[in-house]
Amino acid sequence: MAEAALPGARLERRDALLGLALIAPTVLVLGAVIVYPLLSAIYLSLFSLYTPTLEGHWVGLANYRAVFGSSGFWSALATTAVWTVGTLTLQVLFGLAMALLLHQNILFRSLARSLVLFPYFLSTVVAVLVWRWLFNDLYGVVNHALMAAGIIDAPVSWLGTMPNAMLSIIVVGAWKFFPFVVIAILARLQTIPEALYEAARIDGAGPVSRFFDITLPQLRDVLTIVILLRTVWDFKEFDLIYLMTGGGPVNGTRTLPLIVYQQAFGLNQMGLAAAHAVAMMLVMLVFMLAYLRRAGGRVA
Amino acid sequence: MTNRQRPALIASLVTWPLVLLIAFPLLWMLLTSVKPQAELFTTPPDFLPNAITFEHYRRVLEETAFLQYFRNSLVVAVSTTVLVVVVAVLGAYSLVRFAYRGRELLASLVLFTYLLPSVVLISPLYLMLVKLGLANTLASLVAAYTSFALPYALWLLRSFMAGIPEDLEAAAMVDGASRMGAFVDVVLPQALPGIISTALFSFILAWNEYLYALVLVNSDEARPLTTGVMTMLISAFNIEWSLLMAASVMMSVPLIVIFAFFQKYLTSGFGAGGVKG
Repeated sequence: MAEAALPGARLERRDALLGLALIAPTVLVLGAVIVYPLLSAIYLSLFSLYTPTLEGHWVGLANYRAVFGSSGFWSALATTAVWTVGTLTLQVLFGLAMALLLHQNILFRSLARSLVLFPYFLSTVVAVLVWRWLFNDLYGVVNHALMAAGIIDAPVSWLGTMPNAMLSIIVVGAWKFFPFVVIAILARLQTIPEALYEAARIDGAGPVSRFFDITLPQLRDVLTIVILLRTVWDFKEFDLIYLMTGGGPVNGTRTLPLIVYQQAFGLNQMGLAAAHAVAMMLVMLVFMLAYLRRAGGRVA
Repeated sequence: MTNRQRPALIASLVTWPLVLLIAFPLLWMLLTSVKPQAELFTTPPDFLPNAITFEHYRRVLEETAFLQYFRNSLVVAVSTTVLVVVVAVLGAYSLVRFAYRGRELLASLVLFTYLLPSVVLISPLYLMLVKLGLANTLASLVAAYTSFALPYALWLLRSFMAGIPEDLEAAAMVDGASRMGAFVDVVLPQALPGIISTALFSFILAWNEYLYALVLVNSDEARPLTTGVMTMLISAFNIEWSLLMAASVMMSVPLIVIFAFFQKYLTSGFGAGGVKG
């Protein structure tokens, strides 16, 4: 309504130009580092391109036939699904429980919150180094603790065998990313009117029914957004898996982002890598669009 | 409210063990980094060190390229942050306050890139930066980091700025301020918490980035901490966990500082960023 206070249509047009001038740097930078690379990824996927020399030739859709015809893509897709569903489930369940606990009036609450949130802001490299030390076959604390508790008899190879490797990355992923769920839910919990709980208490509702009848319905929207966002982010996670297992043992934890990287910079097939990347994006598009609809709709 | 105080003790007894379990890996990192090497290999391991040593920290600083990596990370993260915040402050203001064709499309594009996997962009970005002769430079990292930091910053600032009442600017302009004058005098101070929050997030994202650094840089002169410290792991004949833990602690120092002093900006930015939309 700022324009309404100003006389004259010429000023408004000048304002529109100012708006365009202010957005120009954004458009230029986004064009250079996102739109151009994204379009050229699609273009590259139609070539056979050798990474070290960057020489190649047009192959049309041959790369896509290779991608969809290979068992590698489909098994990586399945691996990605197992990783995403596994780690996301832990993140949401544990995140929800932790948020509810941290919402209580506990001792040293702000210290507890800080300690819980910190892993999210930590570098994945640091998280991986620490966990690889914890998971160490001979001297790792995890094996010692489990042996002391009588759960296992001999040291277990956590990263060198399947399904242990998958289990390990799922746990580390949950540890690293569940604080995202905690922050989002805590923020929402603080906005639920206390009057709703008072009314329920007067009606004689216990803590369990108060949770299911008031808290959970109030959290539904934020949970939907968080789950969509984390689905996309877990699906595309590269650093954590690559650094924990490198996709191994054999190809046991090789997810789609790892295949793209391997094709481009391990096997030097940049065109084929681009085709894998585009195929991966097509799979993700469902979740991306669902998120865009929910998050975008709220802003507009 | 007695109802809120009575269960506090029970809730504390349930919560704190879980909190300590979550914090344990980081505590263990700290403890390992100050234990003499020999203490790492006792079975079962002692929780607290019998003797405290800072030998590993000295060795990381003196015998590895850690300080070079640290400097590189600092230069890249600060440059990325400054670039991204300047561009995004102007861009977000434009998206929130001006009407022109393509504005909604642009906003959707920003939100879309917020979800885009790095691995999709990595090959074309690599080709582009090689062609420009920027491969193996800190500038190539700043360019690449902009690809995820700018959409994030735009999205954050857009939602912060949408919360500033337009009346304030209108009042300033009635008093004779120009549009940009009102922006500088009214909007920027109002948006300051959002700008701080955005700057911190950009810095953290750039500081922690791994994949682009792995692909774009292969010399110590331009290598940031993330890939640098991993090189220490891979190139060592014996993996020296004490050294790696000391390096991990030191590379987390900036994050710990940010976290200790600016945590409220992180949590507020968080709500504005992805979740509330």
